[in-house]
Amino acid sequence: MEFSEFYESARDECLRVVLLNVGDRLLAEELVAEGFARAWMSWRKVRHLQVPQAWVVRVALNVNVSRWRRHRREVALGSHDRPAPAGQDAVMSGEVAAALGRLPLRQREVVTLRLLLDLDTETTARILGIAPGTVSAHLHKAVAALRSAIPRLDDQEVRK
Amino acid sequence: MNDDTALGTVRESLATARDSLTGVQMRTPLDSIVRNGRAARRRHRLLALMISTGAVAAVAVAALAVGLTGGTGSAHRAGTIRTAAFILVSHSDGTATLTINPLVLLDPGTLQSDLDQDGIPAMVTTGSFCSSEPQPAGLSDVVSSEPTPSGSGPVADPTITIDPAAMPAGTELSFGNFQAAGSQQTSLTLVSTGSYTCTSTPPALATPGIITLTNSQAAQ
Repeated sequence: MEFSEFYESARDECLRVVLLNVGDRLLAEELVAEGFARAWMSWRKVRHLQVPQAWVVRVALNVNVSRWRRHRREVALGSHDRPAPAGQDAVMSGEVAAALGRLPLRQREVVTLRLLLDLDTETTARILGIAPGTVSAHLHKAVAALRSAIPRLDDQEVRK
Repeated sequence: MNDDTALGTVRESLATARDSLTGVQMRTPLDSIVRNGRAARRRHRLLALMISTGAVAAVAVAALAVGLTGGTGSAHRAGTIRTAAFILVSHSDGTATLTINPLVLLDPGTLQSDLDQDGIPAMVTTGSFCSSEPQPAGLSDVVSSEPTPSGSGPVADPTITIDPAAMPAGTELSFGNFQAAGSQQTSLTLVSTGSYTCTSTPPALATPGIITLTNSQAAQ
């Protein structure tokens, strides 16, 4: 597959997944563009991956965390200890984005790969370089945290 | 709620949120992605080269920092790399002039590294030539032959000018260097990045879409 074909076919999906994670349209576009630029740099390796868009999304999320850490050192954020989504570009799914944003990075990666990109446990484990059992453990904790952060999830279940 | 039910509920909620973003589309054009990738690769290789050669002097670090914070990828150094096998002159407009000495064996790694530093994505091979099918268009916009300067002596080494800004997205230059009797032949063409085949047979001199640098006079 050519890089241009990959970009055309995967860019929107990657953008939506990252947007759900960061909650800011412009930031998400910037992060995904960075992820694709790095994929272009490593295309000889990335093109052989089973799910190259997962590589792009993971890079985008990691870049976001790196930027946030750098920003945290430079600016006193007071009680804000997480990257803040929202702003004028906040999307309707901001509640989900906010809940995802409060997860530790590894849990967020697992949720993103397993539930948003619909990868199986083994593929997720391979991409993240961790054991399948560790993926399951992170997913279990993340699901519990998301249910706690978004009470309507439980309400939906009760109404069914 | 058991684990499977909770997982299913969260999955469903995330899928709903994701599907609500169907209208959200990436606006960044492919060319911009590739341009940023090239700029980043150039910076990384320059940094690696500086570290590997131990040339991390304060002045150089300061110069690099200026380049990193500039971040546009459009700044080009102007300078000359002179080896026994080739001379690569970088111009401030981003183009580069390459002169190959057919009498000296070319080191492909050195040339590829130096081209990369000048923002020219290239693959340099010895004893083989790589090409894509179909061949990307635009070679004549990227590479032009230099007229031989008058009075430069009896031996005129082949010279070309390369304009990396004219390279179509997703392409790189393929240089295939072959040793002939007493001289060398270097053929070049545009290939699609990551999609090409290589052959150990030198291309014929007048093959369309392939530029071949040779100098029989120098080889005599």
